[in-house]
Amino acid sequence: MTNFRRLLEVLADGGVEFILIGGVAAAAYGAVRNTLDLDVVYRRTSANLDRLAAALAPLVPYPRGAPPGLPFVWDARTIQNGLNFTLATSLGDLDLLGEITAGGPYEQLIGKTVELEVFGRTYRCIELSELIRVKRAVGRPKDFEAIAELEKLLELAPRK
Amino acid sequence: MGRSDDEWVDPVIEVYKRDVDVTLLQSHLRKTPTERLEALQSMHELVEELRRGVAARRRGP
Repeated sequence: MTNFRRLLEVLADGGVEFILIGGVAAAAYGAVRNTLDLDVVYRRTSANLDRLAAALAPLVPYPRGAPPGLPFVWDARTIQNGLNFTLATSLGDLDLLGEITAGGPYEQLIGKTVELEVFGRTYRCIELSELIRVKRAVGRPKDFEAIAELEKLLELAPRK
Repeated sequence: MGRSDDEWVDPVIEVYKRDVDVTLLQSHLRKTPTERLEALQSMHELVEELRRGVAARRRGP
C-alpha cells in the first residue's frame, strides 16, 4: 500500500527537487480516479541525485516487479546510469522519472508547474493544462477516461 | 490556419467526457488539495483491503 503523504514528506525532507505529476497530481486537482503509485519528475543534477539516493535509501527501493535477489544497489551512481525507475519501497510504489514523453526533463517542465500546498507543505506540481497536454501526447487508450475527467476539471475551474 | 494543441478537440475524448460524473467533480472541487489527497489515500487503502480479501478468499480456508 502506498503512503502518498509520507513519500512526499521523505522527498521534501531530503531536499530533493522534484515535480509531482501523474495520478496524485490529478487527484490534487480534484480527479476522483484511484491511483496506486506516486509519480514524480526529479532533477538530474549531481547534487540532487545524491539527495535522492540518500532520502530514499532508508525505504529500501527495489525495481517493482523484478525477481528478488538482483544485484540492485540504490545510490547516486545507479540513478545516474538510469533515467526512469519504477520502484517498490517500504512506503509503497514510487515512479521516479528523469523525463517524461512530451514533457521533457525537470528543467523543461518546471515552467509549467504551480506551487501546491498539501499536508502542510508546499510542493511543485505540474499545471493541470500541462498534465492534460502530456497525457494527450502520450495517447494511451487507458488514459482516455482520465483525460476526459481532467478536461472537465479544467472547464469547471474558476477562470483567472 | 491550424489550431494549437491546446485548442484541439479530440472527438474520442469528447465521447468519454459524456460519462464523467460532474457532480462528483464539483464535490471534490469544494475540498482543499489536502482533503482530496486524503480521499485518494482512503480509496487506495480500501482497494488494497478488498484485494487482500479477494486473495484470501481464493486461497480458501
